[in-house]
Amino acid sequence: MPDDLKKRVKELIVRQLKLEMDPSSIADEAPLFGDADGGLGLDSIDALELVLGVEKEFGIKVQDEEVGVKAFASVNALCDFVREKAA
Amino acid sequence: MDFEPLPHAFPFRFADGVIERTGPAQGRVQATVTADAAAVRATGFPAAALAELVAQSALLLSGGDAALSRKGFLAGISDFSVERLPEPGDVLVVDVALAGRLGDAVKFEGVVTERGGGTVARGAVTVKQGTS
Repeated sequence: MPDDLKKRVKELIVRQLKLEMDPSSIADEAPLFGDADGGLGLDSIDALELVLGVEKEFGIKVQDEEVGVKAFASVNALCDFVREKAA
Repeated sequence: MDFEPLPHAFPFRFADGVIERTGPAQGRVQATVTADAAAVRATGFPAAALAELVAQSALLLSGGDAALSRKGFLAGISDFSVERLPEPGDVLVVDVALAGRLGDAVKFEGVVTERGGGTVARGAVTVKQGTS
């Protein structure tokens, strides 16, 4: 159920980073990192928190920084990464 | 005592040295709260200094991990709670374990206890490594 995964990922982002926002307000394609318009403006410390959250929530380890940067580019990218690793 | 990995100098070096290493970036560090450290003279040993102590302990222990750089700085604190503030003369033991790593960001879980006593503080710190 793709929409369920997106909802779960958005809730994970908000919970893990202790963001004060509605998970559903995160756009599927919006960049999670950097200062681009519509993005969350996360940094490398947040990336590590997300790595730990993904490991806890989905049992998927991310040890390579390059993989992490690509996988955490957006909600859609993170969903693709989770599906790929879970397949 | 193994001080080499730390970029800090007195009075901002809180960790005395490594008691034991139980794994890469994991083990136990001792810290003595001194009366003549600037932090103590000014306002007592502040709660934030306990997080810094955990970070310094982690960096001391990570000196044995070839994949980690030897210098770094405290970049984040999470779920950190302080039971009591230590006083001059207290000898503290810091147990540190590696929680996760991505690039130069490394997260450690730490528990600070008084030697032979109860918990002083516990929580997680994130350090950025590779710069002093």
